[in-house]
Amino acid sequence: MIQFENVGFRYNRGPEVLQNVNLEIPAGSFQFITGESGAGKSSLLRLLYLDAMPGSGRISLFGRDVTTLTRDEIAWFRRRIGVVFQDFRLLDHLNAAENVALPLTVAGVRESAYRDNVTEMLQWVGLGDKMDVRPPELSGGEKQRVAIARAVVASPDIILADEPTGSVDPAMAERIMALFVEMNRLGKTVLFASHDLAMIEQYKLPINTLRGGTVVSGMGRAA
Amino acid sequence: MSTIRSKGALIPFQASSGGLMLVIVAAMAFLACFALAGALTTTRIAATWTDGLAGAATVRIDATEDDRARRISLVLDILRDTEGIADARALSERDVADLLTPWFGGAPDLGELPAPGIVAVVLDPENEPDPSVVQARLDGASAGAIYDDHGRWRGRAAQAARAIGSLSWWALGLTAAAIAGAVFLVVSIAMVAHKGTIEALRLAGAEDRFVANLYQKRFFWLGALGGLIGSGLAFGALIGLDTLASVRAALPMLDAPYYWPFVWAGVVLACALVAVLAARLAVLTTLRRRG
Repeated sequence: MIQFENVGFRYNRGPEVLQNVNLEIPAGSFQFITGESGAGKSSLLRLLYLDAMPGSGRISLFGRDVTTLTRDEIAWFRRRIGVVFQDFRLLDHLNAAENVALPLTVAGVRESAYRDNVTEMLQWVGLGDKMDVRPPELSGGEKQRVAIARAVVASPDIILADEPTGSVDPAMAERIMALFVEMNRLGKTVLFASHDLAMIEQYKLPINTLRGGTVVSGMGRAA
Repeated sequence: MSTIRSKGALIPFQASSGGLMLVIVAAMAFLACFALAGALTTTRIAATWTDGLAGAATVRIDATEDDRARRISLVLDILRDTEGIADARALSERDVADLLTPWFGGAPDLGELPAPGIVAVVLDPENEPDPSVVQARLDGASAGAIYDDHGRWRGRAAQAARAIGSLSWWALGLTAAAIAGAVFLVVSIAMVAHKGTIEALRLAGAEDRFVANLYQKRFFWLGALGGLIGSGLAFGALIGLDTLASVRAALPMLDAPYYWPFVWAGVVLACALVAVLAARLAVLTTLRRRG
């Protein structure tokens, strides 16, 4: 489903932040990406949610070379990918339900058709009573759970998480992790980036370690 | 049950920028109406002048007072015998005096003026004669007469009217371009302020046209409302002008108020369309530039 072949990437004319990255993530798997700050975790995820294109090498997503996608195809591919960020990236002028509904709204689904789905998602993340509340009035953990509900509401095939537990306390981090594990049990491919080695080692799942922009260990324990 | 608002709420538009846009479009629509009135008026004036002078000619006979009557009679005989001339009539001294009155500021005394004899000619509209042939016949009879079918004056008048009309249409085009430019600028600035929102929409899978539609809807209504206000004020002013008899006499366009509602609706629609197209162009350009 996701394949990186000798992928290199740099921001504008800066140094390469990813070099010769080779990675293969089968459909339905749950894998971690770890590494120190600046190792290239976020850049790797950015390439996956198609916010940037590789400078060299090839990324295959759903069987397509991402560099051949048109702008409309990129938009369509993004609907098959849910993303959760450390900084939530919620829209403060929308309430929790509207934030969760965003992927369905942009896909042209009628509000009457997704209302129950949105309610169910917010109940699933434990925020059924906060549907009308706007992000500035939510705690960090609540914001992250709204972001998770938004990432999965349109039933994407892949869920990418970029340090989603980085801004919450350990108890909430555990609760959020449980949501990702449950999504994986439902058949979603989950790629979870975190620098918190102690936390991710608890889950006995494949770990890809990035160092200096390249994968130094994959599909096993952290190097 | 939670409140989930429509797509219109996705972009947090500022009321202040909307108000500024409204004022700009209203001012431009106001100016556009006057440019449009100018274009329509000059077009009608040109038509009136050319239609009024078409199908008529004048013969001027320079002769002494003693010989004038004989020469006029000779010219009338020649003209009535010329193919393509429907009628020829000598103007009386009173008619000539009336023609000269505007130039003298009062009725002139023709006894003291070497005024020429004038013959008014009505041409056959389906078979107008060649002016050079008519002039040759008059010269052949040594009538001392000059035939003028008003062609030169008609051409100059129509050319002048067309030039003024063109300027009015250019002014109209520039006004539309100014609206488009203002909308483009306001949308581009707004998109900087909405960068986070737009990024969230794109990550959620929004296509460029989805984002463009959100701005287009907003600017369609701003354009239409601004157009309605500006053109409403302009047409109010034109109706005010129309009540002045002197203006009504000089501006034939104001004499045809039956099509004003259509022109008004056209201006409103044009403002909305220009705003929509400029907003779309601004959004698509900005999104492509961002990559």
